[in-house]
Amino acid sequence: MDQKAILDHQFLVAAYAITWAIQLGYLAWLGLRWRAQKRQSGGNAR
Amino acid sequence: MKKIAIGLYAALTVALLAWGFYQAIYVAPDEQTMHEVQRIFYYHVPSAMVAFLFFAVSLAGSIGYLAFRRNHDAWAQAADAWALAGAEVGVVFCSVVLITGPIWGRRAWGIWWTWDARLTTTLVLWLIYVSYLLLRRFAAGPQVQTLAAVLGIFGALDVPIVYMSNRWWRTQHPAPVFGGGEDSGLAPAMATAFWWNVLAWLAWGLLILVLRYHVERQQQKLAAQQAQSALDAE
Repeated sequence: MDQKAILDHQFLVAAYAITWAIQLGYLAWLGLRWRAQKRQSGGNAR
Repeated sequence: MKKIAIGLYAALTVALLAWGFYQAIYVAPDEQTMHEVQRIFYYHVPSAMVAFLFFAVSLAGSIGYLAFRRNHDAWAQAADAWALAGAEVGVVFCSVVLITGPIWGRRAWGIWWTWDARLTTTLVLWLIYVSYLLLRRFAAGPQVQTLAAVLGIFGALDVPIVYMSNRWWRTQHPAPVFGGGEDSGLAPAMATAFWWNVLAWLAWGLLILVLRYHVERQQQKLAAQQAQSALDAE
């Protein structure tokens, strides 16, 4: 692999990895909010 | 039954994303001038399409809120939750577009960013919806939902400008791949990989959009319960 191809590959990996990090990070944040709400609504019910 | 349906949909979405990844990396042919880095296209463009769709959901929700807020409070609250969910998930996808684009541009053009019409209008779109989310997060009072709905409607006006920007003006950003005239279009093998990724990211986007909607509806119910408790305590 020449230098250009290696750099192309690294940029491609970076773009895909950042996409997944953003999407999964957001899903995790949503999950945490959902869990916190469930706890809060359980507390209110009591 | 509902849990099984959600589980099946989530499993299908994961399978679609895996298939889309396989298509983009292993099946789609190498582009002749940009080679491997062009495969960013299979995440970048579908993310932009899904972001536009969710900003349209936010627009519909904002209009619905303004239409129903005086006569149908339950409908207005549901519309407001859709508006917020659409804006927030749209910002997530728009963030992906604004990050993957410069990574691609650095290899294709030799620069991370340029203030051309497509890039600038997309950044303005992102900033408008981030300001919408900041308004929702930090402002208080009875008018917040109304102000947010108005901002959501004005923000959505930028979507057609972003879409048309590389048709109206000469841009560093490439000409439209679809609907851009006789010279536009994709090779069939590339188009297959592209549409699989559109489907996969759309399925994923809908999953998190509906989840965000339910979180917001739950938040509205909790706020109403707390307000009622405060009234009862007096």
